[in-house]
Amino acid sequence: MARPSSFGKDTGLQARMVLTMFLLGLVYVVFMGVLFASGAGAVTIVVLAAGLFVVQLFASDKLALRAMGAKEVSPAEAPELHAMIDRLCVQADLPKPKVAVADTPMPNAFAMGRSRKSATVCTTTGLLGLLSPSEIEGVMAHELTHIANRDVVIMTVASFFASIASMITQFGFFFGGGGGYGGGGGGDDDDGPGFLVVILVSMVVYVISFLLMQALSRYREFAADRGAAVITGRPSGLASALVKISGVNEKIPTQDLRTAGEMQAFFIAPVGRRVAGLFATHPPMEQRLAALQRLEGQLQNQRLATAA
Amino acid sequence: MGFLDALLGKRKIAGPAPDRLFALTTAYVDLESAQGVRTRGSAGIVFQQLATADFTQIVTETEELLRGTGAETGSTIETRDDQYGYKWIVVRDDDIDDLVVSVNTVADNLSMGGYADRILAAVFAFEDAQKQALYLIYNYKRGSWYPFAPAGGEQQRNTEREFQLKAQIGAGLPMESDLGRWFPLWGIPI
Repeated sequence: MARPSSFGKDTGLQARMVLTMFLLGLVYVVFMGVLFASGAGAVTIVVLAAGLFVVQLFASDKLALRAMGAKEVSPAEAPELHAMIDRLCVQADLPKPKVAVADTPMPNAFAMGRSRKSATVCTTTGLLGLLSPSEIEGVMAHELTHIANRDVVIMTVASFFASIASMITQFGFFFGGGGGYGGGGGGDDDDGPGFLVVILVSMVVYVISFLLMQALSRYREFAADRGAAVITGRPSGLASALVKISGVNEKIPTQDLRTAGEMQAFFIAPVGRRVAGLFATHPPMEQRLAALQRLEGQLQNQRLATAA
Repeated sequence: MGFLDALLGKRKIAGPAPDRLFALTTAYVDLESAQGVRTRGSAGIVFQQLATADFTQIVTETEELLRGTGAETGSTIETRDDQYGYKWIVVRDDDIDDLVVSVNTVADNLSMGGYADRILAAVFAFEDAQKQALYLIYNYKRGSWYPFAPAGGEQQRNTEREFQLKAQIGAGLPMESDLGRWFPLWGIPI
């Protein structure tokens, strides 16, 4: 007999995620083709970018934690938080991440690290003070789901070619125009498309991949919300946390956090002013609340259906 | 959870692993006779509480069932809500077999109601010859056991004693090999 599960599937979300990743991959394959056709200058950029990519993958968590002013806390320093995360890890069957707290009034939380073993969850003193235990639990489960889903790696990989495109757009004239970097003394465009074409393609690739990445990021947020609901069994706990956090974030000035744009992706709630939907890393609050509300509905009602 | 599930952001919660709870009954014979580690006559099973009508009903029915069998075996039952919002069903009985059976009854009843994935762990309380409190924790998600020895002071554990206990049990129990998964449970109500 199949064990009834508390929550149904969300096939639509999976489908949208697959489509987005496919489109992103398609854009990148075309982009790579153009880059290699254009010759040595572009290849140099790819190699440089690959180097940066590795650095980013291995150092971004430490940089982000430092930028946030977060420091790792021991079980003795934050017993309640540690005990809560211990239990969530048992429930989610995950190894325990490092736990860090940033001393800032801004209520927020994020997850860092490229693997499950080296992951860190970070929260702020503002969040711990603002939310009730069951709400904090919802937020922590959301971050643990980011770790379980390897969202840091997936978004870093997804952004790899977008950052190459952005580099070429910004510095392309330097590489291409500035004397045929390693080109063997030939003309600008003797064996492939000219560098101007590459720059134009890069701009297009950058814009398209940026939009796709933001879409992907929003889908991953929905998936993390869903995961949090599944782990805690309390969709409403996270929903109420989101309402409180967004209420406060709109009131508290955010200058100190604006600088770290890259980190936005793994915050529980976006920091700063509302931007147009397409450019947002996080879905609108109303949609997230509606999705959590649906999960709570499934939890409460599916039982009656199976019992009948 | 596989790579594909991670890529697609699917989060399925692990159900219970193959049941190795009953391994304790045989392991305890050795533990008591050779090592002088004795049961403190209590065990508990801890699970998340869901705010749904039938969940509450299942828990109440389970309690009544255990009280019924407890009248014969001499076990007593109580429920506790801990500070982290989890529910405990605590059984007290000097016979370790009765404790294991009662804990298993709770797990079975929750599973039959479709709530197997809400069960966290079963905890059995012991003490050694020096009257120091020791626990053996059964992780339902992984189907493995690990020792837990709280030390004096807030959230301090006696890791040395835990390693000793693990060695004393030897191959008697399927032990958790990943030390990172020896999650402490603070505020155990037994």
